[in-house]
Amino acid sequence: MFSKKASILYVVLVFMLVLAACSSNGSNSENAGETDDSNDNQSAENIELTMWTFGSPGYDKFLEEYKEVNPNVTIRIQSADLADHHNNLFTAISAGSGAPDITMIEAGYIDQYREAQEMFVNLYDLGAEEIKGDYLDWTWSNAESADGDFLFGVPTDIGPTVMYYRTDVFEEAGLPTDPDEVHALIQTWDDFRKVAKEVTEKTGKPMTDNVNLIYYSLRDQSPETYFDRDNNLIINDSPYIKNAYDYATQLIEDGVVGRIEMWSPEWGTAMNDGSFATLLAPSWMQNVITGNAPEAAGKWSITHLPEGAGNWGGSYLGVPSQTKHAEEAYAFISWLLSPENQLKSFKQEGLFPSTPAIYDDPAFTEHTDEYFSGVKTAKIYSEAAQQVQIAYTGPGYAIANSEIGTALANVNNENRDPEKEWEEAVKRIERQLERR
Amino acid sequence: MADYQPVRTKVKSGKPKKRFMSEERKDALAAYLYISPFFIIFSVFSIFPIFFSFYLGLQRWNGLGSMEYVGLRNFRLIYEDPMFWKSIYNTFVIALMGTLPQLFVAFLLAFALNSTLIKFKNFFRISFFMPNVTSIVAVAIVFGTLFTNSETGLVNLVLSYFNISPINWGTNEWGLKVAIASMVFWRWVGYNTIIYLAGMQSIPNELYEAAKIDGANLRQQITYITLPLLKPVIIFTVFVSTIGSLQLFTEPLVFLGRTMREEGITMVLYLYREAFVNNAFGTASAAAITLFFIIIVFTTINLLIANRLGNSK
Repeated sequence: MFSKKASILYVVLVFMLVLAACSSNGSNSENAGETDDSNDNQSAENIELTMWTFGSPGYDKFLEEYKEVNPNVTIRIQSADLADHHNNLFTAISAGSGAPDITMIEAGYIDQYREAQEMFVNLYDLGAEEIKGDYLDWTWSNAESADGDFLFGVPTDIGPTVMYYRTDVFEEAGLPTDPDEVHALIQTWDDFRKVAKEVTEKTGKPMTDNVNLIYYSLRDQSPETYFDRDNNLIINDSPYIKNAYDYATQLIEDGVVGRIEMWSPEWGTAMNDGSFATLLAPSWMQNVITGNAPEAAGKWSITHLPEGAGNWGGSYLGVPSQTKHAEEAYAFISWLLSPENQLKSFKQEGLFPSTPAIYDDPAFTEHTDEYFSGVKTAKIYSEAAQQVQIAYTGPGYAIANSEIGTALANVNNENRDPEKEWEEAVKRIERQLERR
Repeated sequence: MADYQPVRTKVKSGKPKKRFMSEERKDALAAYLYISPFFIIFSVFSIFPIFFSFYLGLQRWNGLGSMEYVGLRNFRLIYEDPMFWKSIYNTFVIALMGTLPQLFVAFLLAFALNSTLIKFKNFFRISFFMPNVTSIVAVAIVFGTLFTNSETGLVNLVLSYFNISPINWGTNEWGLKVAIASMVFWRWVGYNTIIYLAGMQSIPNELYEAAKIDGANLRQQITYITLPLLKPVIIFTVFVSTIGSLQLFTEPLVFLGRTMREEGITMVLYLYREAFVNNAFGTASAAAITLFFIIIVFTTINLLIANRLGNSK
């Protein structure tokens, strides 16, 4: 086929390509390692940091500005979608190489790393104690280890939960539509239940889209959830989760809970048509609503949840321990997430800040939204944010949540017995936790 | 140039290297170099993980910490887990529901396409095969919309014309299996049709003509001519369908979403959930090893049947 020379050339070419592919990972950190003088903090050498993000936090807009703050540090941002980003992060950390210098971690994914905290740099060692006071205590505490000595990351944005409701459905049911009046009407969860029955009786529409958001709201108002700070499963002894579960199943039995799958096309249509009355959701859900229901502008409004607020979502910026430039990475993180810069992120991208100092800023208190009947949206979110309580999640949080979610779906969709489903769910949780 | 000689004698002058690179060895070396790129990649990404999986099945590991040797504990844990047995049950039921009607329909379609009555055969062949080249994820999303829980979903709407109340396809035991099995059916019926068609076209027409002269009707022709001569093809399609459906993964994953409900969980989905959702890599590997042995059992059975049928000719 090939002449001898051609085949040797071919084989050499293949090996060259293989070597080039293998070496690209190592070259960046090798270069930086060579130029980094270990005894010189303010080295004149150029340092390059890699940062992994997901979604669109708009942090690339800050890079120009940071060049003026710290000219010898360049930052390269790589973006992926939520699931891919966390898969890549987990793989890189597990493999021991390939992790970035700075990474974004969503609140739901930080529990995975709690049992392996040596994979991250303890930001308390780099001086994070000094900025602790700038941030909301509950979101900061989520990024700490159980004993509070280790800090995984600095909070970026948060997702305080509020009650979005359809003013037209409330009007049809003969209820007030002004946010303050609604909040006065629904002060407790018992009030919510009464109002739910009224709404369904008078309009024939369910009070909520599905059962999950009700359960999440109550769960997020609890001071403890599935695990205590020693990571023992407390679901059988602690009353809060069982209360949340019982309340949710009671509402199902009342017939006020819909069966629309979240994130499905029908869910979007239902938002548009007003097929359900309330949506107990976090601040970032407003983009989902406006996106899914453009024709419903002016028919939605926002008020507070009864008995306090919860939180869903939000992320942290952490530093994996594979980095060679922990101090520079932390310097960038603390600069990027300072209150002034979080205010900018809010104005540019709508990221809800985790620093309460700026909640008094006029950009916040005066921000209104025509879509939501002219309500001062940012003000409501900031009030909710300050009501959230600290609760420890624990490494098995996602597993426990998933099994309770299955139990709730069974009760809602298949009319199964709530008590039996609860017991089965607890058994499944215990079984699953044995294996890790 | 030296003559072509397979040299085996030692050279006293102490230069063995020259003789080492005889022509035969050079050819052999070239051959090894040619297959090495593929083989290196294959051994790194396939062979090593397979052996590592066997090793991992005996450990307890959450992906980030250190591994702890626990012997056969992982196997005991999953064998005590009703969800594991449910996943095996689900896999077999969905496999049967997906493949049996499909092979039957594929056979009929192939027979119809083979007859001289149909025009535009190529058009039909292409359109039947097209589902096979679509993206599995896209199909699962579309079927998810068809088989949605609400009364206005397309399938529920059709059912309502027959006065059947809407079924919760996402959570109902049999509803879920029907939905996933229909995705498998839709994807593979064309593929099997083409294979049966190819087999049927190799059956000489004279046999059919002779049978017609003898007075055989259509059913008798199929039973006595087509089926026996198509036996090796049928065995092949059953074989491939079995192996494929034992590994059913993408359709349930996209259809069920992150919930991975027990009504629709299959073996591979179970082990995926163990590893990447629950971060329990030891038990996931144990499940993978069990799946491996189940597939070996089925392959052996299939091979024995094929041999026995082959020998009986």
